[in-house]
Amino acid sequence: MALATVLIDGNNFYASCEAVVDPAVIGRPLVVLSNNDGCIVSRSAEARALGIAMGTPYFKVRAQLERHGVVVRSSNYALYADMSQRLMSTLERWVESLEIYSIDEAFGLLHRPAGGDLSDWGRALRRQVLCHLGLPVAVGIAGTKVLAKIANRAAKVDPARGGVLDLAAVADVEALLETIAIEEVWGIGRRLARWCRLRGVAHARALRDMPAGELRRQCGVVGLRLQQELQGHACLPLISVAPAKQETCVSRSFSEPVQSLAQLREAIATYLVRAAEKLRQQRQRAGAITVFVRTSPFAPASFYSASATVTLPLASNDTAVLLAAALPLAERLFRPHRALVKAGVLLQQLQPDDLLQHHLLVPTTPEQQQRRERLMAVIDGLNRRYGRGAVQWAACGLQPAWAMRRSRLSRAATTCLAQIPRVLAR
Amino acid sequence: MQGAGIGDGDLLVVDCGLEPRPGQVVVARLGDGFTVKRLVRWRGGLALAAAHPAYPLLPLPADGDHQLLGVARCVIRCC
Repeated sequence: MALATVLIDGNNFYASCEAVVDPAVIGRPLVVLSNNDGCIVSRSAEARALGIAMGTPYFKVRAQLERHGVVVRSSNYALYADMSQRLMSTLERWVESLEIYSIDEAFGLLHRPAGGDLSDWGRALRRQVLCHLGLPVAVGIAGTKVLAKIANRAAKVDPARGGVLDLAAVADVEALLETIAIEEVWGIGRRLARWCRLRGVAHARALRDMPAGELRRQCGVVGLRLQQELQGHACLPLISVAPAKQETCVSRSFSEPVQSLAQLREAIATYLVRAAEKLRQQRQRAGAITVFVRTSPFAPASFYSASATVTLPLASNDTAVLLAAALPLAERLFRPHRALVKAGVLLQQLQPDDLLQHHLLVPTTPEQQQRRERLMAVIDGLNRRYGRGAVQWAACGLQPAWAMRRSRLSRAATTCLAQIPRVLAR
Repeated sequence: MQGAGIGDGDLLVVDCGLEPRPGQVVVARLGDGFTVKRLVRWRGGLALAAAHPAYPLLPLPADGDHQLLGVARCVIRCC
């Protein structure tokens, strides 16, 4: 039996999540803004139809959005991450193995019954996701990842396909591949697309049929693999276990420029506390910390960008230890009269937390270590249960003026009991 | 929905994985709000009925602005 590769992804994922928890926005144009209410990062179908472009800065189109009665939402990552998790656990039951590719996208592998058409399977999957989660998804089925991606795209573009397309059931695959512009082929970057165009290779079909030697000379084995995938020979395996992270970064733009050392310390502490929490979730310790800051790139005369790194004598995921190492870096980087617009914390040299290389000059006993680990586990548990910030480090400040702007945030309708949707029971 | 044992402020556990059938208490989206009612057969189609007879039946035309979201499975009463 042959294997089939399927790509499932959410349509307008963030915008769709907003509609799941707030029926008042169904059928209305809606856009979701990036961090700090900066740019438009997701649009409902209705907002697309109005011609609102992806990535547009909010302040530029604010008046236009208001005129059209467009609903505007800040990014509610708690909601999107939770819906994503639900989506992935639903998908897991439908395939033999699943690769979570991004927050709203996953590849799956399953056996194709001899001569079988998986269109009905795809439609049933789509129906279940819609019914259980309220999320519309597109399902593309083919023999390889690159082709599944193309099938997924074709399923979305043509409304007659109802969001599902099995390439094996398409009568004229040649014609379909010719509708896929070279820029839309997965793995083709801007430079490679230009190179292809110069050679008259304008669509997926032409790329599939071009001389392999030529492709190999230009982009090596990567291009060859891509071509093989287009020809139906799978060479990009499914990666169902995410590789351990090498680095963890938390960085944000400030809602207003940070001009004092006290504020910068608060911001760095806040990002570090979050990064340390991630680290413990990933069951890792960090061996080094980098802190970076910068002013606005739109004021080039006074532009300032700097970073500083400290190596820890003993790898750690203890927030107190990491704070004590990182805060002096904030002091070192701070310059008076430089209005900082962004800062971040990068945890590096990550290693699994079950192996710890001890240090001759840093005496710790296993008992001390275990006490600290238990403390961190208790703090994380409280914050998970009662909401982030239920137990906070004083270094983070109480009422930060610089905190990310999220003026149009929807409710945490799936992760906080007090904010679940209300139903009229008359 | 006092008649169905659902009071103001109660927590409702809703199974969105079940296909709502007539006779069941369901959660539906009507226009831009969520509502809980009993699903009933009505003139060859479906309608939503409140537990209290004083409230009128809400027919669900096939092309209406509504959606059945799930079946109410149990009620948790806060005291």
